[in-house]
Amino acid sequence: MKDLFVAVLGAPEGVVLFQLIVATQYTIYLSLIAFIGGGIVAAGITILRIIPNKPARFLAQSYIWFFQSAPLLMLLFLFGLGVPRLLGFEVNIWIAASLALTLYSSAYLAEVWRGAIQSLPDGQWEGAEALGLRFFQTLKLVILPQALRVSLAPTVGFMVQIIKGTSLAYIIGFSDLMSIGKRWANAPVEGTEPFIIYPLMALIYFALCFPLSRLAIRLEKKLGTVAKTPPVAA
Amino acid sequence: MDLRFFEIYRRSDYLWTLLEGALFSIGLTICAAIIGFAFALALSGVRFAQVPYIRNVATCYVEFIRNTPLIVQLFFVAFGLPLLLGYQWPFWAHALLALVLNFSAYFSEILRAGYGTVSTGQREAAAALGMGNLLIFFKIILPQAIAKMYPSLASQFIFLFLTTGVISEIGVNDLTQAGKFIDSRTFRTFEVFFTLTVLYIGISLTFKIILAGLQQRLFAWQVAR
Repeated sequence: MKDLFVAVLGAPEGVVLFQLIVATQYTIYLSLIAFIGGGIVAAGITILRIIPNKPARFLAQSYIWFFQSAPLLMLLFLFGLGVPRLLGFEVNIWIAASLALTLYSSAYLAEVWRGAIQSLPDGQWEGAEALGLRFFQTLKLVILPQALRVSLAPTVGFMVQIIKGTSLAYIIGFSDLMSIGKRWANAPVEGTEPFIIYPLMALIYFALCFPLSRLAIRLEKKLGTVAKTPPVAA
Repeated sequence: MDLRFFEIYRRSDYLWTLLEGALFSIGLTICAAIIGFAFALALSGVRFAQVPYIRNVATCYVEFIRNTPLIVQLFFVAFGLPLLLGYQWPFWAHALLALVLNFSAYFSEILRAGYGTVSTGQREAAAALGMGNLLIFFKIILPQAIAKMYPSLASQFIFLFLTTGVISEIGVNDLTQAGKFIDSRTFRTFEVFFTLTVLYIGISLTFKIILAGLQQRLFAWQVAR
């Protein structure tokens, strides 16, 4: 595979492109871990946020508030560098990066899903109660099928933010597209100047993110969205 | 496990470093937001007016910025462009340019959504009164769009502020860089970055309060209705 790249593009360009594409898989793995992990945590937080129990709701609300307000970069520093030094042991870089990104995405997803659930009219809950359904039955049979529709678009849209967010993981030493690309940009090799490498990396990130962005817009048009979707950047 | 926050707080020079970093971060973000907003007006304006070709360029630009990480844009602006075009700027200028480019794309997308909320009837009424296209845009559509989208713009601004920590990666002395400096002296990594997290959250809350107050002042005509 590498030989093919070198044969078509020549050295060093072929080698660089091959390495960037190989490194991209780690960006994708980390994104998927953050998305799935964040989704699982967010599901728990969302339920805590809506059950009729004040302390649980307060706890979930505080969680969402804190991890939405804390910059992702700080979470990475805290879990990648701070916690290991505080506790005095080495933390695997995958675990640290996954943890920070999972916390980051769980807060956002929980907020979106809560918004989706609470956007449904109270009549849905009341009707289900009148039919004799219990809380979790109502949630499973009545609320979630409707809430999932409207939350699909912002959820897919948020995957873009996760992919872009993983680019910060190189700061704590995670080896992904960003880290490999930066190494090449700093290397004194002709053909790997920063003005070549960074646009190339941007194109790879764009190729990952743009289809998801389009998909999110299409889903939004087709299924609708949550009225108050929190802003995103990075 | 022992938390030793006092190792940071007892040193007045560390506290000064943090204060300077925080002020720098705040100042640079506000500058970037103002210039970026002006850019965003132009970007969303040409898309709204459907200026041929330029509109497509603006769309590509906005989509490209929104679908690539800020850190890659920052490194390109800070290390790629100067090498390509042969200029030398101080670090903060590179950071400012990168943030302006980044912010403008996000703001322009919000503004564009705002233009869509102004009903075509208003445009038609203004045209019937003999107003030109530019006048309609600046007098009728833009004020309403901004008033309507102000909450979105404000929360996007705060969100973007939280991402500005990455500019420390090119050696700008912002709040994150101040933290890194203190960390390198004290090795109290957790305490330093916890402090920084609290500072970032505190500043964004302050922004939130100020921006909400500004909304009452600026758009009293809208709130009153």
